Amino acid sequence: MREIVTIQVGGFANFIGSHFWNFQDELLGLAGDPNGDPIFKNQHLDMDVLYRTGETLQGIATYTPRLVSVNFQGSLGSMSSHGTLYDHNPPVPSHVVTWPGNVSTHLSEPHKKNLFLQSLYEEEQENLAPMDGINSGKNDCESEIQDKDIVESLENGVQFWTDFSKVHYHPQSLYELNGLWMDAQDFNNYGIGMDVFSEGLRGEEMNERLRFFVEECDHIQGIQFVVDDSGGFSSVAADFLENIADEYTNTPILLYTVRGPESYMNRRSRRQTMASDLHDAISFSRLSSFCKLIVPIGLPLLGRSKVSSYLCLEDEKPYHCSAVYAAALHSISLPFRMETLGPAMDSCYVSGAVDVYGLIQMLAGQARQNIVATLDAVMPAPSLTGKQVEQSLLGSLHPFTPEIAEDVEDLQEVESLTIHGAFGSGGYRASVSEVEDTVHAAYENATTKPLFSHLSVAHCPLPIPLPFPSIFGNLVGQHGELLGSPVMGGRPSRGSLDVHSIPMAARLRSTTAILPFLENRLGNLQRFGIARGASGTELLRSWGFAKDELEDTAERLSKMIMTLDPHSQSSSDSD
Amino acid sequence: MSLRVLNPNAEVLNKSAALHMNINAAKGLQDVLKTNLGPKGTIKMLVGGAGDIKLTKDGNTLLKEMQIQNPTAIMIARTAVAQDDTSGDGTTSTVLFIGELMKQSERYIDEGMHPRVLVDGFEIAKRATLQFLEKFKTPVVMGDEPDKEILKMVARTTLRTKLYEAMADQLTDIVVNAVLCIRKPEEGIDLFMVEIMHMRHKFDVDTRLVEGLVLDHGSRHPDMKRRAENCYILTSNVSLEYDKSEINAGFFYSSAEQREAMVAAERRQVDERVKKIIELKNKVCSGNDNNFVVINQKGIDPPSLDLLARAGIIALRRAKRRNMERLVLACGGEAVNSVDDLTPDCLGWAGLVYEHILGEEKYTFVENVKNPHSCTILIKGPNDHTIAQIKDAVRDGLRSVKNTMEDESVVLGAGAFEVAARQYLVNEVKKTVQGRAQLGVEAFADALLVVPKTLAENSGLDTQDVIIALTGEHDRGNVVGLNQHTGEPIDPHMEGIFDNYSVKRQIINSGFVKLIALNLGPPLVYILGSFGSTKS
Repeated sequence: MREIVTIQVGGFANFIGSHFWNFQDELLGLAGDPNGDPIFKNQHLDMDVLYRTGETLQGIATYTPRLVSVNFQGSLGSMSSHGTLYDHNPPVPSHVVTWPGNVSTHLSEPHKKNLFLQSLYEEEQENLAPMDGINSGKNDCESEIQDKDIVESLENGVQFWTDFSKVHYHPQSLYELNGLWMDAQDFNNYGIGMDVFSEGLRGEEMNERLRFFVEECDHIQGIQFVVDDSGGFSSVAADFLENIADEYTNTPILLYTVRGPESYMNRRSRRQTMASDLHDAISFSRLSSFCKLIVPIGLPLLGRSKVSSYLCLEDEKPYHCSAVYAAALHSISLPFRMETLGPAMDSCYVSGAVDVYGLIQMLAGQARQNIVATLDAVMPAPSLTGKQVEQSLLGSLHPFTPEIAEDVEDLQEVESLTIHGAFGSGGYRASVSEVEDTVHAAYENATTKPLFSHLSVAHCPLPIPLPFPSIFGNLVGQHGELLGSPVMGGRPSRGSLDVHSIPMAARLRSTTAILPFLENRLGNLQRFGIARGASGTELLRSWGFAKDELEDTAERLSKMIMTLDPHSQSSSDSD
Repeated sequence: MSLRVLNPNAEVLNKSAALHMNINAAKGLQDVLKTNLGPKGTIKMLVGGAGDIKLTKDGNTLLKEMQIQNPTAIMIARTAVAQDDTSGDGTTSTVLFIGELMKQSERYIDEGMHPRVLVDGFEIAKRATLQFLEKFKTPVVMGDEPDKEILKMVARTTLRTKLYEAMADQLTDIVVNAVLCIRKPEEGIDLFMVEIMHMRHKFDVDTRLVEGLVLDHGSRHPDMKRRAENCYILTSNVSLEYDKSEINAGFFYSSAEQREAMVAAERRQVDERVKKIIELKNKVCSGNDNNFVVINQKGIDPPSLDLLARAGIIALRRAKRRNMERLVLACGGEAVNSVDDLTPDCLGWAGLVYEHILGEEKYTFVENVKNPHSCTILIKGPNDHTIAQIKDAVRDGLRSVKNTMEDESVVLGAGAFEVAARQYLVNEVKKTVQGRAQLGVEAFADALLVVPKTLAENSGLDTQDVIIALTGEHDRGNVVGLNQHTGEPIDPHMEGIFDNYSVKRQIINSGFVKLIALNLGPPLVYILGSFGSTKS
């Protein structure tokens, strides 16, 4: 077994993480549900890759994500930082054992649990109590009514990522940056987060949390790191990554830098825009230097992008946008945990297993050492309709990575594609070999095709858990099939009550399409930071960057460009 | 908890309004922290929105738990927290002193005095107080054998302000012995060489000093011994796991056989390393009952664990980086980065190694070591918030001992220094100053009294009575502090109440520097502006 440890740093990263773990929790639940859809019975996914088994002090077995989540103090809403399983939260005591003198108690306004969290809590209490056959039947009926209210309350009232989380976390998982409060100040640039990691014992504590999970691993395959790189968390993550790269030298790190659409909205004045541009350049360059593969994710106008053809997304809701990205991350992570029977044999449920190291080698370790990959996905994936697959499936994959070129011809392109739960032409679930054959055939006929393409297929679709947002358009059916005509009588957007699962396809690509992304960062850094009399030098100095450091940063960026486009040097010099 | 909220985009306030706002912010902060001070202070129990409990009597911890929004208050809080970073204590005193100095200033400025003149007086008073501190401090000789009694008194003074007496006294011995254990002649004291571990346990009195090391993990093989005596300890940072990334060749193999061959070759390399460790074990353990323990910073995978277990070796993987250093200091030997030239000289020694399991948590005790230079304070408490509070107190205690040894001096506590310094300023310094700056000296002198005043207030005593009694004694030439039970003057020397010299020095220094910036009454916007750009 090859374990993965997941790290989530920053606001939007934790929103994505929350959805991601909800999917996993749903898969676990459906696999064990006697009345569930049989397609989820044989997933042939090894959940132990992402989860750990443990035991509370009372001897009760636990199964929790192998996760370190880092965020502001006060960002956990109504969830205790110790999680809920290990009973670390005693009632407020009436006296203090260590102090005989006066005690003054300061109670913060308790965060009210929303309908969803209340129903989870009640369900748990019921499970603890002995089941009564007649009663439970009645409750089912009641909860049916409640589900609608739950979905509605989530649509309107998600404030924290914990508001829609149905997962139990380990007490070591949720780390709040002590003294760094949510909304306390504008935590929106690289400079402001510079000392956060090293201040006090924070860095030490974060390393310890991670070590706790790594020590347990018999053979860790990699670290999946998600960071909200829209602000100060970039530098927190960079410092954390530097420590990790130093401590776990041979453990590959797959880094997703994510940001929600709202992070693009505060670029009003010229000064703000410049600060954001500089932040983007520094942040990308720093983060990319501590990982083996970096995948930038986050479109400025997600709701209006091609990604959302069948979705109704509200850009200002992180709850909505993070769900889409989480689904793609889930798809990408499937090959890491597919159960393989042997090197040559593929089961009829999964195929194309590859570990984190393998994936990174494939994309970044080949002749062209390009460590930046783009993410494309389609949600829900269209069915494999014979010959038109090239247009329908491959053509419908749209980028989640911003600032990339479209329709570039890159002869050295390498990609890893994951398809799961896809439908065949007749509206039935396509078999693994059928998907493989169709995709291969599609590439055969395609006019442009990548140098190398790895395909992973799983039979099992993406389950839609109850707290998933109502973001599907009315052309999406119950199993994620695309309908010819809109569902009648329904609301324009459909959620977990109407759509139970969806087929997904997602791929990582190493491609020259990323060049504009890199060139923008290099260009902005040179224009605002390095050029003589540049307007941003003062700002960068206040972030702690001296000129020679900036030049190194620029060089690193231009090297990344060079690996993709050897002819670019002359143009970047003349800038 | 949030203090006064101030819109950072507020228009430029005029000088006097800005000044009053600054003063109010300082007062607000002072009010919150005031009740912390001293052995009679109030402990605070903070309950978060999700029910998380935090217990603290420590100004530093409290400041971090407050969501402060007023820029002046933030500035004062930062000064105070920086104080804690450099000297480990004195956060509350710093905030109180700054607050009091601002209050005093308000009075004089309202009477029409120019802030600039006042600040000149402060500057003179500060220098004089620092000079006075040099005369007032009690030197302590730190030779080869430091005076343990004085170290204990300082530690006890600190700990008794955080924990109930019996526990404070118990921890006093623990922290003093811990620092003495890690002390090396001619070198600075690195408190990181004291590991602080915690365990959930019914009783907090079980907190103890382990001469040796406690690790928060155990061996990962069912056949390894859970308890072993007379152990050789190998401290290593060597990868004992099969690592694909060590193959430089490409990832794609043309056939399954080729892949298998690569894997086997790679596996062999790891096995070789394990075998070298086993060879060393056989060399040193043949013909005796001694045991062999490997504590590795890198990973050890199950096949390697198997080999080691079969050879009768106990192996721990992924040890903390710092424990590599601590282990060598505790057990001897050296930390090895490669198994190529292993010799028996690399090995350390421990009389006893055993595992303790608590739910899913495992602890490994490495004890009965010879001549340790690293040790572990094992804190036990009934729940997380109690453990956290004891941990904070232990850190403060350790710092106070370290400070004393580095300062080679201490300062009489219980308010004695503040009263003495105040009398010195008023009786001697003031008359040497020309003109209105005298008033600045006086204001500074009176501000110093905030410490004994607050101590008295927290003990439920009448502050005026106390101050009169104390200053009276000082004028008669007796250096006295405050007895917090009776309100009578006491001799802190007799009672063993001592504070750190460096902490006192720092308070006088830091409190003042920032105050100048604030008190000159610059428009508030200036303060805000200087925030973002000056990152020191």
